[in-house]
Amino acid sequence: MHTIFSRALFLLCAVVCSLSSFSQQNQFTVDGHVRDANGNPIIGASVIIESINKGVSTDENGYFSLPLNGNAQAYSLNVISLGFKQKSILIDSNTTLNQSFDIVLEESSVDLSEVVVSGKSIVNQVKEKAFNVNVIDAKKLHNTTLDIGGALNRTSGIRVRESGGVGSDMKLSLNGFTGNQVRFFIDGIPMDNFGSSFQLNNIPIGLAERIEVYKGVVPIGLGGDALGGAINIITNTFKKSHLDASYSFGSFNTHRSMVNAIYVSKSGFTAQLNAYQNYSDNDYKIEVETADLQTGEYYPNEIVRRFHDRYHNETVIANIGVVNKTYADQLLFGITLGSNFKEIQTRARADSPPYGGLHRKGSIIMPSLKYIKNDFIVKGLNARINANINLGREQNIDTLHRRYNWLGEFIEYEGPGGERSYSLYKFKNNLGIATASFDYKFADKHALALSNTLNTFNRKGEDQLRPDNQDYEQPRKTMKNIIGLGYGYEADNWNVNVFTKHYFQQNKFSLALDSETPGELMYHKRTNTFNFLGYGLALTHFINDDLQIKASFEKSYRMPENEELYGDLINLEGNIDLKPEKSYNYNLGASYWWRFKNRQHLYFNINGFYRDASDFIRPVLNRNQVMQVMDNLGSVTNVGVESEIKYQFGNRFSAGVNLTYQSLRNNTKYEGGQTTESAVYRDRIPNMPYLYGNADMSYTFHDVGGVNNSLTIGYNMLYVHAFYLYWPSRGSAEGKYGVPEQIAQDLNLTYTWKNDLQFTLECRNIFNKNLYDNFSIQKPGRSFTGKIKYTFL
Amino acid sequence: MIKQSNYYFGLLLGAALLTACSSDDGATNPDEGGENPTAEPQYLITATPTTAGSEGVADYILSTEDLTQGSISTDGNGVEQDGTYRYYETHNNKFFSFLYGQGNPGAVTTYQLDGKSKLQKLSDFQAETVQAFAPVNDDILMIKISRNAESPFAYWYQLDTEASQFTAEGQINTQELANKENGEIAFFSWITQVGDKVFLPYFTMKACCNDSWGTDYPDEANIAVYSYPEMTLETVIHDNRTSFIGRYFNNGLSVDENGDAYAFSSAIATTNNEVSTTKSSSVTRIKAGTLEFDQDYLFDLEAASGGYYLTDHTYVGNGKVIGIFLEEKTSSYATGNRFALIDLHNQTLDWITGLPSPENILSVTNGMNSYVSENKTNVFVGITTETGSFIYNIDIASNTATQGIEVQGGQITAINKLNPVK
Repeated sequence: MHTIFSRALFLLCAVVCSLSSFSQQNQFTVDGHVRDANGNPIIGASVIIESINKGVSTDENGYFSLPLNGNAQAYSLNVISLGFKQKSILIDSNTTLNQSFDIVLEESSVDLSEVVVSGKSIVNQVKEKAFNVNVIDAKKLHNTTLDIGGALNRTSGIRVRESGGVGSDMKLSLNGFTGNQVRFFIDGIPMDNFGSSFQLNNIPIGLAERIEVYKGVVPIGLGGDALGGAINIITNTFKKSHLDASYSFGSFNTHRSMVNAIYVSKSGFTAQLNAYQNYSDNDYKIEVETADLQTGEYYPNEIVRRFHDRYHNETVIANIGVVNKTYADQLLFGITLGSNFKEIQTRARADSPPYGGLHRKGSIIMPSLKYIKNDFIVKGLNARINANINLGREQNIDTLHRRYNWLGEFIEYEGPGGERSYSLYKFKNNLGIATASFDYKFADKHALALSNTLNTFNRKGEDQLRPDNQDYEQPRKTMKNIIGLGYGYEADNWNVNVFTKHYFQQNKFSLALDSETPGELMYHKRTNTFNFLGYGLALTHFINDDLQIKASFEKSYRMPENEELYGDLINLEGNIDLKPEKSYNYNLGASYWWRFKNRQHLYFNINGFYRDASDFIRPVLNRNQVMQVMDNLGSVTNVGVESEIKYQFGNRFSAGVNLTYQSLRNNTKYEGGQTTESAVYRDRIPNMPYLYGNADMSYTFHDVGGVNNSLTIGYNMLYVHAFYLYWPSRGSAEGKYGVPEQIAQDLNLTYTWKNDLQFTLECRNIFNKNLYDNFSIQKPGRSFTGKIKYTFL
Repeated sequence: MIKQSNYYFGLLLGAALLTACSSDDGATNPDEGGENPTAEPQYLITATPTTAGSEGVADYILSTEDLTQGSISTDGNGVEQDGTYRYYETHNNKFFSFLYGQGNPGAVTTYQLDGKSKLQKLSDFQAETVQAFAPVNDDILMIKISRNAESPFAYWYQLDTEASQFTAEGQINTQELANKENGEIAFFSWITQVGDKVFLPYFTMKACCNDSWGTDYPDEANIAVYSYPEMTLETVIHDNRTSFIGRYFNNGLSVDENGDAYAFSSAIATTNNEVSTTKSSSVTRIKAGTLEFDQDYLFDLEAASGGYYLTDHTYVGNGKVIGIFLEEKTSSYATGNRFALIDLHNQTLDWITGLPSPENILSVTNGMNSYVSENKTNVFVGITTETGSFIYNIDIASNTATQGIEVQGGQITAINKLNPVK
């Protein structure tokens, strides 16, 4: 039942073969397969020949292939994987020429917490690609109560911006790219619009095995029009049967539970079931100005409880199919079913009066198909096909003709009406996604990748309060297709990828114009079509075994999202005139691994970036400042740097710090028909954090209260520099609207009993600081959570 | 040699970093120090930064002692006023900044000048977004007006300017007030105190059926007359020589020193989004103490100006008015770009010289937001052209304008004046 990790750090040195030791003659290959006693493949096992400093890791099916030259006579081949006993095999270049080995490892009782980072786990293999990528080892966070968004918030270069507590709207900013400039994938499938029942803010971390964060240039394999980067959530890899369950309870009446079950039979039949639930009243205290509804008098700095922010969702994901068959490595049919309920407490601005009745209900009904086959038709051709359609519904309910204040008091107005707009609007977005991607390793070191992603959107809705409103009959349709072609060359100590992408998007909608018949509106159907071509290059070079540099360039387009065009009908207003954002992106980074003394590791990473964007898409407040709306800003440049340091001492102590600085500047020189330079030319783009970072530390005590029991204390700190809500250069600093400096500190304590049972206590925001986001909406103060997780299998 | 170039490169880099840091984010505060020890009155100029990147910030309040020369900038200077739109009113030596939130309640912030001539925030209070507000006695009367025939109510609020809070409120059924067969509702263009009464000129609108702002009655003027502070309807006075008085969010009624009220009609009533009135843009009069239009007085501005219509006006004094004119009636909301001096008593109209030519004008301050000097000899208006924003000083006696203070980094939305408080 041990989760499989690799711990052989020295492999890093080994895997990158130095050119000097390279010889062309008598080359041969040692191939093999590594499995456990039950026949399950062992992924990420290290296969090393220490005497010549060479090695590889096993792939996701347990296979390895190690090229050698035949000058030496005999080698000792070591196979190492965490949780298993090390195994050595003697090979001889004369007799074992091109022989394939079947290696079976025995399980060992090595302490699981030895796991920790480092070594050439999958995590690090991904990091070594030419793309700039951070990999979050999600399994290490399974003992926390984080959702995916919370985990991302601890990664360098990333700021997750949310508008409140559990279930609140989350926006991500990654090296100056925000919101949908960064695309999300789940197992390589775009999760653009899974509906509100399945989003960053409600997917528990336990569902993920690891999270890959691509900054800047994104591999072709992840199709789509990611501009600023992509986040790929890898769930599980169907290695073997597994069952775990967890439940947590915390402040603000927050309950979360999750069951995660996978069954894999010897014949390859597999069934997977994930069920999870989140519930929270989100009735945390905030500091606001509250007004007397009669006199209008403001009472500043009042501490009140949020009173209309309840959120809950329930989701079940079921997959059934086969794995490891000749016709399919994975063939899965699935369905995601879920519902969610969300009360809406605030408008887009924190100081606006709150809502007391407005809420949203939604459902997700999403059948899906997933097919993966390596060596598809020909050897070396890997195919991946996915499709899903979301038939879920959403409804906005706004039927209280009232005005509330933060004390929960209200004024009732005569006649029918709503708090924002009288509504029982019910709609379906009919979102469909189909992706196909092929990787073809057509020769040693050469590979081609082709990928296509098709998205469809067709919003249909009705409002029983306005049955005859023609507006609901109007088309709101989008079709988007992105096709990418890439070529990769992988040499011993460097590799390169070049690629091109074609972007297509067609939006169909209506404009309401006056008709010739007096008193009637005519809806004029319109179609906007965009066709663009982008391209890019990514390369990496290992200067020596421990030092890697990466560089990439991309000309890229970011297409407007459906919700940005048509609105999410909560706090985002649609903008049908939103144009695609074009940008030139340059990245340059370096990573350094350093081992010293006994079992101490240091990892440094620094990455600089420059972006030159036109029609920069960013959120602003709409005209009456009740909602946000996405808007194009003529021209924007961004120069920045992000850096990260991690330290590890054996399996006891680890610490890390990351910091990001970016200089996002308005590059629009003339505005509004003026010939004089704009007053905000080269000004910093407001309402975006520009200096932020994280620090974390954890210490594990082993064999506490018995062998195999451990106690881990973790600490995390979040820092965000103060920033202004409006153009920084305008107005005097005194009385300028802004978000103050924020520091939040979290502590957690986890006790693991015999590797099966985990108890976690977590305190977030321990000093109860005021934290803000999204146009200074306040987030929860100090909170406590307890969590229990049991792994049955 | 290499070392030396490295050294210089380092210096350059260092210098670049330093300048990058020091130019950062307007941390300087020019308000500190440099104040006049003897407290002087201050002109308050509100300027909105840019058009495209306006960023949800309405204006910056800039203060200066002199409007006739020099320049002032929003760069690191001025009190930030958030919101998409803001409106301003000065009353009882207090400056009120109204957040216009299109149907949503917003903050109204009150300022005064302290003993050092520095603008100090007195208080905030929450108010409904209103479509008309004006001083009446010691109050500011504010009215939120429905544009929907299904809920034909206007809500009024009396704001006590001493206490900065509401002291009374009530509602008006605008459908009953309009009293039209087709159910059109009344929409008050603005509020004017005339004697001890409150005059509310209004236009009627369908407020429905896809021609919300249109009317089937484009050729009539109406004023509802209310007592104050009771706000009881006394009468509605009508006239069919002009179209409606004032415009949406624009005052169309001014009182001269004799107590006579002059009513300005732009003649831009529309039906199905086309100007449908047959009347001419004109001025009519209600003599002091009467509650009816003076049928002997009609000043046809379109005739007097040679085909232009009035979009807005500023009452100066002694029957003199600055009128803002536009040539073509394309919409009900277009703002004018030609300035004329109108003599209401003698019924004359003369174009003002010394201003930028109309085709170069991008925006002008509203008539209500221009500033009239205390001795009524000069009017200050804000004009933005493609080369920048300036306040022009119009000399009434000579009917000429001179360019005054330049406002850098913003369009001028209003000009006000406050005296320091001891």
